[in-house]
Order: sequence, then structure tokens, then C-alpha cells
Amino acid sequence: MVTRFLKETDLAAVTAAWARDYRVLAPVREGAAIVYRVFSEDMHPFLGRPPTSSAKEALLPQTENLFTYTYRKDHADLTRTEVFLSEALPPEPTLILGPRPCDARGRHLLDRVFLERGVTDPQYKAHSAATLFVTVACTSLQNTCFCHWTGGAMDDETGSDVLLHPLVVGNTGGFVAKAVTLAGEKLLTSLGASLPEATQEMLAKLDERRAKATDPESPSEPVPDLSAVAESFLAVFDDLDFWTDQSARCLSCGVCTYLCPTCSCFNITDENHGLSGRRLRTWDTCMSALYTLEGSGHNPRFSRAHRLRNRVGHKFSYHPREFPQAATEPPSSPSGLEFSCTGCGRCIKSCPVAVDIRRIVLDVIKTATGAAAAHKTAQKAEEAQ
Amino acid sequence: MASESSASALSANEPSVNDSAANESSTNASADRMETLRAKIAAELPNVDFVLAYGRGFDPLHATPVTVRGEKDLDRLIFDPTCVQNLATSLYGLRGKRLGVVVKGCDSRSIVQLLQERLWERENLVIFGLPCEGVLDLAKLRATLDIASARAASFTGSPRDGLLRLTFNDDGGHDGERTREIETKGLLADKCLRCQHPNPLVFDHMIGPETLPQGAQDDYADLAALEKLSTQERFDFWKRQMGRCIRCYACRNACPLCVCKHVCLADSREPHWLSAEATLQEKWLFQVMHALHLAGRCTECGECQRSCPMGIPILLLKRMMNRELKELFNYQAGVSLEAIPPLHTFLMEEDRIKDRGLLW
Repeated sequence: MVTRFLKETDLAAVTAAWARDYRVLAPVREGAAIVYRVFSEDMHPFLGRPPTSSAKEALLPQTENLFTYTYRKDHADLTRTEVFLSEALPPEPTLILGPRPCDARGRHLLDRVFLERGVTDPQYKAHSAATLFVTVACTSLQNTCFCHWTGGAMDDETGSDVLLHPLVVGNTGGFVAKAVTLAGEKLLTSLGASLPEATQEMLAKLDERRAKATDPESPSEPVPDLSAVAESFLAVFDDLDFWTDQSARCLSCGVCTYLCPTCSCFNITDENHGLSGRRLRTWDTCMSALYTLEGSGHNPRFSRAHRLRNRVGHKFSYHPREFPQAATEPPSSPSGLEFSCTGCGRCIKSCPVAVDIRRIVLDVIKTATGAAAAHKTAQKAEEAQ
Repeated sequence: MASESSASALSANEPSVNDSAANESSTNASADRMETLRAKIAAELPNVDFVLAYGRGFDPLHATPVTVRGEKDLDRLIFDPTCVQNLATSLYGLRGKRLGVVVKGCDSRSIVQLLQERLWERENLVIFGLPCEGVLDLAKLRATLDIASARAASFTGSPRDGLLRLTFNDDGGHDGERTREIETKGLLADKCLRCQHPNPLVFDHMIGPETLPQGAQDDYADLAALEKLSTQERFDFWKRQMGRCIRCYACRNACPLCVCKHVCLADSREPHWLSAEATLQEKWLFQVMHALHLAGRCTECGECQRSCPMGIPILLLKRMMNRELKELFNYQAGVSLEAIPPLHTFLMEEDRIKDRGLLW
């Protein structure tokens, strides 16, 4: 595979070179946030920290125009109306710079929803085919990170086209750029001398880092055993007191779902202006009461407890149960299940009230185990009588 | 106020580092105060469904709201400068219950406002008031330091002139750690710098000691800076800021007085004020709506801005409205239970509003 060295000081120039062929989404600092913006020459991409928003927006834009429509009335016969549709243009070739391996892994989980469930989503498919991921490997875990719980790693290559490994050589900061796909290889080779070959010394340093990170004696927190979580969740599903306590602090806002690299729910609306309009697909959030509000006024998930339960359940129970075959094919988690969560931790970090999905998952397992044990004891006592 | 938020035990004889008036609230006083709080809550538990209070969040710099239902939950309680959330926000959604709630001075103003608007019944609320000398603005801390690897945090002295000691995992060694001490003065939330009501204004149990207001008079310097810009520049400023809004509505849902929540104009399809599109126009229109609906009601608890994952300074809009209210009606929201909010009533002639005279 092609490996090149990208000097930190050349980052803007290299990005600009890529921007000649692609619409480049690059992370920039805006206030306290790091957001993706369409690259222009006066911008300074910032790769120092994981972006506030996930890379999902490159594949599933917050607003997508599905088509525009116009009604025309027949003036001779006003009961007749004709409707004219025009399709949206196909997506531009796009390169997203600066996602993290947890973001890139999100692609695999979005594919599950939009490509593998029997119906292929044409918009998503087009976006996915037109988008390259130039991902930045992490060198340390933040205290909200838990990619290793879900089968990810700081230098996981899943979903990336190029993986940039941050490296300081002497006084020069930069990235060892490793091509992961053929398209990624082209990105690196097309720039010729501005991206020199990575030296053996650099690659040795990366190997050393990797060995250290995967060292079983390293002090990173051990991965809890989540192999029972899918079933445990079903066991506590009806324990509404449990969910009320877990969700008492939840504000029912959309931060967790909108920043999530794998949340895929959307709404479809017609935005009318007189006799013409657009049919839009926009992000939706299961944290909102409106998400399940039915036309009759009935709402099956009327409380925050119901809604939070759904978010946790989808990621850690419904998904692994829907895709059990994922357990036998890589990449699955250390627990042998595939979760629809990549452990990026954005839902924890950006939550206004510090709801921690890791804590909820562990509490689910603990409560289910406790309930099962209590049930067994009660049964034994009954038998003894 | 001094407190310890690390896993390590409180040291009973730790010397206090400051000798200011706030010295009385030393580590010991803080531990005593927590004991008093636990005892008061324990005594009230039979009378309420549950008590909303603060517990430790996912790291030593984050607090998270917890529900106290029984004695076993009392161990989880904390109170220190990381307790930033306004727990009054959860109240409206829990109507019909009889609740206890822990409030700081600023949070109590939200409760005053909720009671004034009859959005809660006083008899169904047991308020545990905690005088507060200030809470942290984590955004300020993040701007100077990568706090995502902080393992422990402890506070010494008053947040006004004390220290925050952070312990980090050392990236280099396996078991190494390094510590960093930062003055908390520069980390206080802006609202604390102008706080005039550090002691809760409405309460059933005051968990003292009460403290003197240490905030400066609000001179609206932040608004003045914005108003120096031309109209076009100001609009450009807001366009830039609102550009990164993701329409998650954390600002709305974190607001203790934004009681419509999901029955909001922003979500309504009939009438159709806002489209589902994430354009600047829709994002901006919602913020204008929010600010106007809070005119004369907003207590500037700052939860909207603190909750914004994108760091958009939306409190400015509410402060703009509040300044007008203060100038026109000499009114501040949530300060007095007896006052009638000016937009809930009218006078034939307002002192500060010049009519053009009778029109006939």
C-alpha cells in the first residue's frame, strides 16, 4: 500500500490541490466548535481534535432535496391538475477531511440501514459512492471515547480511503498518510512530489505506537463484557422505573442523535410554496416526542423514558439482533456482537446534562442480571416449600 | 465553597488556601453542608415522589442531575462548582407530581417565574436552597486546556478566588500522572460574574451559610460591543454564528421557561411557520421566536447557551430583550414572587413609553 508523508505546514496546500477535483469538507474551528465547511483557499483545516459534528453529514445531509414539483391547473377544465416533477442533481464528488476512525466505521453501519435491508436507498448510495474519507487516526482516547468497546480502534481503517497517522519527526509535525483503498491511493499518488514517500523510520514509529496501544498490560480501562446486553435489554424493557431514573435528566433534545455517526432516522416533508414546492428529506430524532406522535394524537413513546429506552435499545439490542450474522464476520466488537454505535462518545460529550450511554448499558446488564438472580432465588425458595 | 470531586476521600484537616470573607466555607464547612443537605432531603423523602439533585457525571468536571427516591441514593449527592445545570428545567415536564428540587440562587429565579405564571403549584414543591458562589463555564476551561483526559478534580477556597486542581493521566508513562492548578476566577460562568442573587430567593430549606452578592453590576458590555457594529456587520455576525446550528433544539429544551417543548411553533406543520430545511433563515427565525417569547420572563440562567453543542452565543439575544425590559419597566424576571411581570399586565400610561398622544 502507498504510504506518504504529509507535513503539517503543507496541509492547506494539499487540501487545496484535492479541492480542485472534489468538493472538500474540512473541519474548521468556529467558536468553541469544530465543524465541517466546504473548503476554500482562505480556510485552515483543523485536525487537532475530533470535530464536534460527525462525518455523517457527508453521506446523509441534514437537508436533502429529493425532487421539486410544480402543479399546473388546466384552465379549460379546472378539475384537472397536472404535476411536473424534476429530480435533484446527483451529488458532487466529495472528499471529507478529518473524520476519526469511529466516524469512518459509521459508514459500515449506515450501509446496513440504507443498502442491506432489502431496499437500496438511491440517494444514500449515490452519496456513499461519491464520497472519499480522509480520516485522522487518534493517538489518545478522550474520557468520552469507547471505540474499543464496539470493535473500533484508534487506528482502525474500516470505512476510510486514506488514514492519516499524526507523527512528529524531529521538529516536523505531520501525518503518515496510508492509502486504504484504490481511490485513496490515487489521492496520494496524484500529488507527486508534494507528498514524499514515508520513510522506514516513520513506519517503524507507527508500529511501535500500535504495539503500545494493543499492549494487554497497558493501563487503558478494560473492555466490559457486553455479550449479554442485547438480551439484558429485553429483560429490563418493561422496567419503567429503571428507564424513568435513567432519563430523569434527559432534556429530550436532539444533540445525541444529530451528532451521532450512525443515527440514520429521517423525516420526509413537502415544503409548499403556492403551486410548487420541494420534497425534502431531513434528519429526525427519536428523542423528540413528535417522532412517534400518530395522526390520532396517540403517542406510543410519550415519555422521555420511552424515548431514551429506544435509543439505547436500537444501538445495543435491536441492531445486534437484526444482524446476528455480523458476529461471524469482521469487524465485530470484543463481545462478539455488532452494535450500531462506534463509541465516538459525542452523545456523552455534548449532552447538556451529561447522560452517559456507557453507564446506561452497564446498568442494563447489572439490573437484568440482578433481576434474573432474584427470580432464581424466588423460584428456589418456592421449590423448597 | 470548597469541595472535592475526585474519587479520593475528603481530607478533614486540609488547610484552606484563602483568607477572604468566604473563608468560612472551608472544606469542613462544605462537608457539613452536604451532611445537612442529605439530612434535610432524607427527612422530606416521605413527603415527595422524588428529589431532583446533583450527582457526579461521567468525569470529575461534569455533574449530572439525579433522582433521589430513597436513602440509598443520598450517597450520590454532590454540590460544587461543577453543578452547572438548572434543575428547574425538568419541573414543568413532571407536573402532577410532588417533587423536591435542589436549587442555586440563579435557579431559584426560574422557580419564582414558574410560580408567577402558575406553571407549578408551590404546595407541590419542596425547595432545597443552596447559596452559591459561582459555577464553572467548561467552555472557558476547554479553551485553555484539553480536559478530556482529566481524571480527578478538586476545588479549594471560594470559586471567586480559589483553585481548581486537575489530575491528568500522563500520556508518556504507564502509571504516571500530572497535576495542574488553575485559578477558578477566570473559569466562572459569565452569569456568576454579574450575579446579584447568590442565595435562593424561594426555598423551604436553606442549606447555609448564606453568602454576600459578589457579582459586579451588569453593564451589558457584551451587548455594547455587539452594538458598536453596523446593522449589516451585526447581521453578518449572526449569520456566521447561526450557520453551525444543527436544529437540535437543546436551547429550547434546556430552557426552564420554554414550556411548550414539543408543541412548539418551530415544529408545527399547521400553521407552517418554519420549514424542515436546515437553512439559516429557519434557524434564525427560531432564535428570534425564542427570544421574543422569553421577553420579561428570562432570568438569564444561561442554560440555552450552555447547552448548545455548537457554542452559539444565543444568550445575547435574551439579554438584549432583558435590557429593554429593565429600561422600559424597571423589571427583572424571577426576583419577586409578588411582582406582576410587565407583559402580563398593562397600564393606561406607561412612565417610560412615550405615546404620541391621543390619536383622535
